[in-house]
Amino acid sequence: MTLQENRENRQQLDPIRFEVIRNALTQATEEMAAALRRSAYSTNVKTRQDFSCAYFDPQLRVIAQAFTQPVHLGSFVEHVPRAIKRQGIENLGPGDMILSNDPYGGGVHLNDISLIGPVHYDSKLVGYTACLAHHVDVGGGAPASVGAFQEVFQEGVIIPAVKLVEAGNIVEDVFRLVLAQIRSKRETAGDFRAQVASNLTGARRVGEIVQRFGLSEFLRYVDEIVEYTSRRTQAGIAKLPKGVFTAEGEVDNDGFTDQPVRLKIKIDIDDQGVLFDTTGSDPQRRAPVNSTFAQTFSACAYALRSLLEKDLPVDHGFYKYVRINAPKGTVTNCVHPAPVVGGWETHVRLNDLIFKALSTAMPHDVPAGTKAMQCHSGFGGEHPRTGEYYCYLETLAGGYGARSTSDGPDAVQAHGQNTENAPVEEVESNYPLRIHRYGLIPDSEGPGKHRGGLGLRRDYLFPSPTIFTILADRDKAGPHGLFGGGPGSISVYALTRNGREQRLSSKTTVQLQPGDIVSYRTSGGGGYGQPTDRDPNRVLQDVLDGKVSADRARSVYRVALGKDRASVDEEETARLRHSRQNANRTDKPERPN
Amino acid sequence: MNHNPAPRYRLGVDIGGTFTDGVLIDSRSGEAAHSKVLSTPADPSIAFMEAVRPLANAARANPEEIQYLVHATTVATNAIIEGTTARAAFVTTQGFSDMLEIARQIRPSLYDLNFQKSPPLVPRRLCFGVPERLDAEGNVITHLDESAVEEIAERIRSARVESVAVCLLHAYRNPVHERRVGEILRAKLHGIPVSLSSEVAPEFREYFRASTTVINAVVRPLVGRYLASISRRLRERDMKDDLLVMQSNGGVYSADAAVERPVYMVESGPAAGAVAAAHVGNLAGRPNLVSFDMGGTTAKVCMIRGGKPSVTKDYTVGAEAQRGAGAFGGAGGYPVRTPVIDLVEIGAGGGSIAWIDSGGALRVGPHSAGADPGPACYQLGGDQPTITDANLALGRLNPDRFAGGKMKLDAQRAVEAIRSHCAKPLGMSVEQTADGIIEIANTAMVNALRLVSVQRGHDPRDFILVAFGGAGPAHAARMAQESGMAGVLIPPSPGTASALGLLATDLRLDRSATYLKRAQDVEPSALADQFNMLEIQGAEALREDPRSGSVIFNRSVEMRYVGQSFELDVPAPEGPCDAVWIEAIVQRFHAEHERTYGFKATQEPVELVNLRVAVVKPIDKPRIRPLPKGTADGSAAVTGHRQVYFSENRKWTTAALYDRYALLPENRAPGPAVIEEDDSTVLVPPGWAADVDEHANLILTQTSSTQGPQ
Repeated sequence: MTLQENRENRQQLDPIRFEVIRNALTQATEEMAAALRRSAYSTNVKTRQDFSCAYFDPQLRVIAQAFTQPVHLGSFVEHVPRAIKRQGIENLGPGDMILSNDPYGGGVHLNDISLIGPVHYDSKLVGYTACLAHHVDVGGGAPASVGAFQEVFQEGVIIPAVKLVEAGNIVEDVFRLVLAQIRSKRETAGDFRAQVASNLTGARRVGEIVQRFGLSEFLRYVDEIVEYTSRRTQAGIAKLPKGVFTAEGEVDNDGFTDQPVRLKIKIDIDDQGVLFDTTGSDPQRRAPVNSTFAQTFSACAYALRSLLEKDLPVDHGFYKYVRINAPKGTVTNCVHPAPVVGGWETHVRLNDLIFKALSTAMPHDVPAGTKAMQCHSGFGGEHPRTGEYYCYLETLAGGYGARSTSDGPDAVQAHGQNTENAPVEEVESNYPLRIHRYGLIPDSEGPGKHRGGLGLRRDYLFPSPTIFTILADRDKAGPHGLFGGGPGSISVYALTRNGREQRLSSKTTVQLQPGDIVSYRTSGGGGYGQPTDRDPNRVLQDVLDGKVSADRARSVYRVALGKDRASVDEEETARLRHSRQNANRTDKPERPN
Repeated sequence: MNHNPAPRYRLGVDIGGTFTDGVLIDSRSGEAAHSKVLSTPADPSIAFMEAVRPLANAARANPEEIQYLVHATTVATNAIIEGTTARAAFVTTQGFSDMLEIARQIRPSLYDLNFQKSPPLVPRRLCFGVPERLDAEGNVITHLDESAVEEIAERIRSARVESVAVCLLHAYRNPVHERRVGEILRAKLHGIPVSLSSEVAPEFREYFRASTTVINAVVRPLVGRYLASISRRLRERDMKDDLLVMQSNGGVYSADAAVERPVYMVESGPAAGAVAAAHVGNLAGRPNLVSFDMGGTTAKVCMIRGGKPSVTKDYTVGAEAQRGAGAFGGAGGYPVRTPVIDLVEIGAGGGSIAWIDSGGALRVGPHSAGADPGPACYQLGGDQPTITDANLALGRLNPDRFAGGKMKLDAQRAVEAIRSHCAKPLGMSVEQTADGIIEIANTAMVNALRLVSVQRGHDPRDFILVAFGGAGPAHAARMAQESGMAGVLIPPSPGTASALGLLATDLRLDRSATYLKRAQDVEPSALADQFNMLEIQGAEALREDPRSGSVIFNRSVEMRYVGQSFELDVPAPEGPCDAVWIEAIVQRFHAEHERTYGFKATQEPVELVNLRVAVVKPIDKPRIRPLPKGTADGSAAVTGHRQVYFSENRKWTTAALYDRYALLPENRAPGPAVIEEDDSTVLVPPGWAADVDEHANLILTQTSSTQGPQ
């Protein structure tokens, strides 16, 4: 459509009313998020905010989303329409809500359960509100429902779009059946109630908006919301560099074998749009590294969104440009009954690879390798105080990749993941463990002109028997550097028993004895540019802050400190850097691909 | 209350980003005088005295006749935003000294690959861990290593810091180690202030408590110097120097207390506006209202129920505008866990710039032209169209009476800016576009209004909108209509109304402590002891005898269902803490939960998380001088007519112009009308009318719904 035609079409529309309706719908989803978060029970939902909320129009297009976890928002778009169609639009009356987590019905891993309800106004369907929460436990082979299994059936309860709420009332039989599969019954029941509260809030607000403008007028503007975002997305894509960009990489292992999981990405950008192609990635495994189509979609959608304007809305008008070719039966589009709980590891690594592929064409827009793993820590057992079965789940941050003009931030979540840490005091008040230490890891950064962020260390001490699962990655290779920057440190997972430390695999479940300490040490981010080009004063500041050791400053950054240990020895630094340059004339800077 | 009849004047001074406002009230006559001078950021005490001088002179007040002086300031917030806070050290439990670096491990913006984390207010090199540990019940697991503390004290001393913050794990439960660390540090670091988390904000979740304590520490030296310099200048003029300072919670405390706990005043300025609105509402018999304060760069909205602004502890300073922060409540900036008046501030003010985005949509803000270069119509070099330009282009402002006529506005420049930057690309007329700019800003402000009302479970239809700030009164009627509010109240001199709030508040200190017990496990006598202790502490900090009856204690408990993380603040029932009391507060909690979230779970155990006491010493409120009454006919105040474009009928309409100073109580100004005064302009749309009440407030109500197409 030309701009002129666009303008003529839009002349029917009042740009002011457009803004009003668009903001009001976004606000409705944000109110949903607030209701869910504030009334939820599990640390993972209430504190770490591992949830998302959205409004879909009657055509099942996503129109507004709350600002929460990007991973969900991409996968939601796949899952919600399919869950509704599976139940049958005609079977959903006012006050009904369906529950779904089926990975092979458009879902992701089983912990992410969506609750979806139609919104009616004046007995007419005006759309759907949906919220997704990562539940701390959905049954399966280990507490918190994370672990290495070989079939999806071992991973927990599969919910294929069933009515949890009928005409405003919870269907007790269904609720009891679902809860019977779940270890942390009280917390999970509380989180389900919070999801119901969230959808009710959204339905009320959407109803108010429709009431104010009338249904046909409302829907006309909903169309324009999609059109508007579509125009902006097209304009944004037009500015991207054209060409074919590729990268390869791997997830370290699959939890059963040490054979790396190869991933391939090809990004084809032309006038038509952007095509993400994962052809060449490994076949799916009987191991927890398989990404469903929705997860792969989510990775690509997040990557594309990050390359467009910062305030571009994320709705159907954007998602429809995310084109994907992910061959069935691969780890990027697994088929039944492959296990999926670790699919997010594959998903988030694809993100890193997409940015790596684009780094030569868009060197100022993408970061070096980030932590790029979900890094789950899940555990549970009998709470010695209450005798109840408790479960706990969290994910840990790592170093972010350096960028062309700035260092990668230390200890932060990456890509589609933006979950908060749980306060030590909250964890210790509610669960039977102590956090032994929690801090940055010096010298873990990928060195560079701009350095990667530092990884972090979190040690858990368990006074009572506990089943503990690590579902993470990055213990073979650290996040990649760019343009001469070095990789970030690898991650380490370790168990200390009776004073002796042993390494653990990045995907494993262990039975802990009282007094055991499990330690996570996450990767630093990759560096950007030659470390010897780093401003010596910035190296000095890192040394003074104890983030980089003086030895490393000298050996890697070629910066010598003065006798006072508080200044740069300019002369010595110049000498070190000069000899370095001469010695390395033949060194090719490390390049992606 | 006051035994000495001589002191009769009360003085309020509000230092804002652009202007410093003063208000003086003669408590005998109720007469008020106002002043407005440009702020002097390099030494704010200069503008402070410049605002005081004309007021004192005009009233011919002897220095000893000043009863008291209340002050609101943004000095603490500005230091954080501008990065000019003090060099400080941070001490915590060994193994956790990166607490400030890690913060919440989240990114402030999801899709920005070049994001930055807010840099810690204490650099890592000045963060120290001491060997010690408590468990979640407060039992000592590892004893405090005092020699290690002494070593750290030595390192802190040689690092030449100005302030120290201490936050040990679980110190909210048992401050024994933290106090000992404080003693050792104070003994070793003569004169360097030490802020302890168990004193500043004894509540659980270590990063939030630490952040609050650190903010206290890093603004403490400069707040001390700042208040000392004001006191010195006051003494130079023979005025009493026992200054009171507005806190973020809307109460005032002594300058001494402010120096100890400056984190309680980070939102001093905005709080003053909310308190002013509550005061005006109470006088007018309208205790339920939404305060709407719109100035040059931002608009602030706050819910006031039962005459009291609502207060939150979920607050962040130094973050980008709260708008769009969603569930994260702003992941950037630094959290503060002290009571802050629950207001939402958004980047919509008179100076907010209108622009066209890449999708061809008209947008307003968040960029502001500020005072320099200012809106296009200021003729100071700005050429971007702003909200003020839009109001002027639509005839809603009088170009000759802006800022009391001290500033001439150029309507033609406003029209040109709108035409070239927005109307042309949109293919719309200048009027439509200008109207659209204002409607978009109004929508954002209505959303802010919904955040404090609907999102907190309140129906806007039960509230009136109290509008002030220079720009607020021109937008108020339309906002009330858009959000379905009952009407609008506009106080006299809306441009300096915030300063009035300083004189309308009580002395107040908030004290709280984490309690964390299930309702069925509460031991009533222990609970009563805890409350009593908080009350005694609070009263002593106000230098009042807790048993004298001079202070009032408002108790409340932050409660939740066991397993939740967000508490609801439930006002405590009257009477002694016994089983009946506990049952009553549990019932109140269920009801509050249902109102807020739409459900309650009466089978679920309920937990008492934090005990709170507000210690209040009431101060009698200023009376406003009674005015002679007029009749319903306000036409004597009409100064002429002008063509004004209203959003209600979307056309140029002849509006009557009124001089606000000539309007008398009981006068009515039917819309379409424009009511002008020196520091603001009130818009009365068609179908609306403005009535003057006995306190000279304008009450705007809709008289008919005869409006054209929306």
